[in-house]
Amino acid sequence: MSRNTPVLGNVLRGVGWFGLALLLITMFLSDFLAHAPAGAEFPGIELSAPSEVHPFGTDMLGRDVLSETLHGLAETGRLAMWAAFFAIVLGGLFGAVAARLPRPLALALRGLFGILGAIPPLLLAIVIVGLTGHFFVAVAAGIGAAPLGFVRAFDRVDLHSPHADYAIATGIPGLSLLQRDLTYDFRHVLGAVVARALAAVTIIVSTASFLGFGAEPPARDLGLIIAAAKINHFTAWWTAIFPGLALILFILCARLAAGLEEGESA
Amino acid sequence: MKRFLARQVAQLMVGLFGAALFAVALSAVTEPRPRSLPAYLLAVLDRLTHLSHGDLGHSAISGLPVVAELFQHLPPTLLLLAAGAAVALAAGLPIGILFAFGSLRRAAAPIMQIVTATPVFCAGLALAFGASEILHWPVGLASRTGLAASPEEALRLAALPIATVGLAGAAAVQLALRRAATRTAAASFRGGLKRLGLSSVEIEAFYVLPQIFAGLIASAGEIALALVSAAVVAEWVFHRDGAADLFVKSVALADWNMTAVILFAVAALTIVASFLGRVLGFLLVREQMP
Repeated sequence: MSRNTPVLGNVLRGVGWFGLALLLITMFLSDFLAHAPAGAEFPGIELSAPSEVHPFGTDMLGRDVLSETLHGLAETGRLAMWAAFFAIVLGGLFGAVAARLPRPLALALRGLFGILGAIPPLLLAIVIVGLTGHFFVAVAAGIGAAPLGFVRAFDRVDLHSPHADYAIATGIPGLSLLQRDLTYDFRHVLGAVVARALAAVTIIVSTASFLGFGAEPPARDLGLIIAAAKINHFTAWWTAIFPGLALILFILCARLAAGLEEGESA
Repeated sequence: MKRFLARQVAQLMVGLFGAALFAVALSAVTEPRPRSLPAYLLAVLDRLTHLSHGDLGHSAISGLPVVAELFQHLPPTLLLLAAGAAVALAAGLPIGILFAFGSLRRAAAPIMQIVTATPVFCAGLALAFGASEILHWPVGLASRTGLAASPEEALRLAALPIATVGLAGAAAVQLALRRAATRTAAASFRGGLKRLGLSSVEIEAFYVLPQIFAGLIASAGEIALALVSAAVVAEWVFHRDGAADLFVKSVALADWNMTAVILFAVAALTIVASFLGRVLGFLLVREQMP
């Protein structure tokens, strides 16, 4: 819950979810909304400025930037959703479960993830892509973001609460207790956790793609589109700015939807 | 105090040892890759034996010892990180302190969300565009730029990567400051000090500010993570020859020896920064920061 005034915090979260919903609809309808199929080239109109026919202009191969941005947004969203899934399962969920394991095993896992957390998530994701291939970029981004989520979830578990003693005293099986604990832990914050994970992994996925470790042509995500626009964005600004704005908008909506507390990073 | 320091030193040693093991495990993934778990474990054992003799292996790209290669590429990156950290503090401290108090803190939250939603590579490209189009600086993003003709040109070439890293660091600094400010806003000592007759200014200056700065210092590891990530992107965007740029090339060309050594250097930097931050933060306010 944000420490802004509750009304402002709720409004911002609502705006974030509304924006995310609109962007998701746009992603699902990208093939229908785009003027041209992904990667379609129009020879003779390379690097033309925004016009009525091409509202976002064309790139160095004559591709319609609006269509490419829509297809790129869909690809970024697809990768980010898979990556968020892996980040939540291997990070937050595993961290909450690991904290309840026998103490020596729990502390060993906490130490391992603490060490992995000392490596920037982007670098960890790049190494995993290098080891496994570009196809696994979503998994790599999820694993890259997981250590910090694991540590956060692990440290939040209060094993010394009197409720824990009462629950154990009832004689309920451990797995049922775990299921109950996880339900209580995640029931009210699942939406925020998903949005927070989306914000974090989208930055990792798009940056990895920008550096050449993400999506591979013909599938181009926003990071790869911006990387291709890098060499001529001084003269043809539209090739980079529209995909860049779409990427920032997606991350911003996810951050707002997460309702991050003050001073909290995704 | 002794117990706290002993625990921190133990954490530091375990962290460095774990990072070294991780690096060894990564460097054992050489080409041709081990096809089975026993073969891989033998490769790890072989690496450990070489390591015990002080041999960290050779780069698959240049053929040079990885340590020599690292020492050749590390100074520009450390310089970039140091300059970026200076910019981060110069920009992040005033913004963080300004937005750390009262109504400004609440008003700044949505603005900071927008700023921190910008990926570093987008910020780097935007800075390059601004420098080229508004300041008419010579910015080369298409290829490696040669040696600068004059000190002024060298400064201009260095300014953009430093600004990119600095802005990423500034975002982390102001986040840490505002987090610490939020924590102290609800601290129970405020009421007690007021009842003792201290004015609000005295409470903020002598009790709250040290808490906020201790919180910032304790977040040194987190800030180091942000700076290193930004350095990787900045060196790639602006074609700077540094360890971060070498890391990207090493992974792309499957030079796992080099990758492992750079990764260990980065992890060690972050772990040491975290350790120093926690200890200095503790020494400043005599209590452990969360």
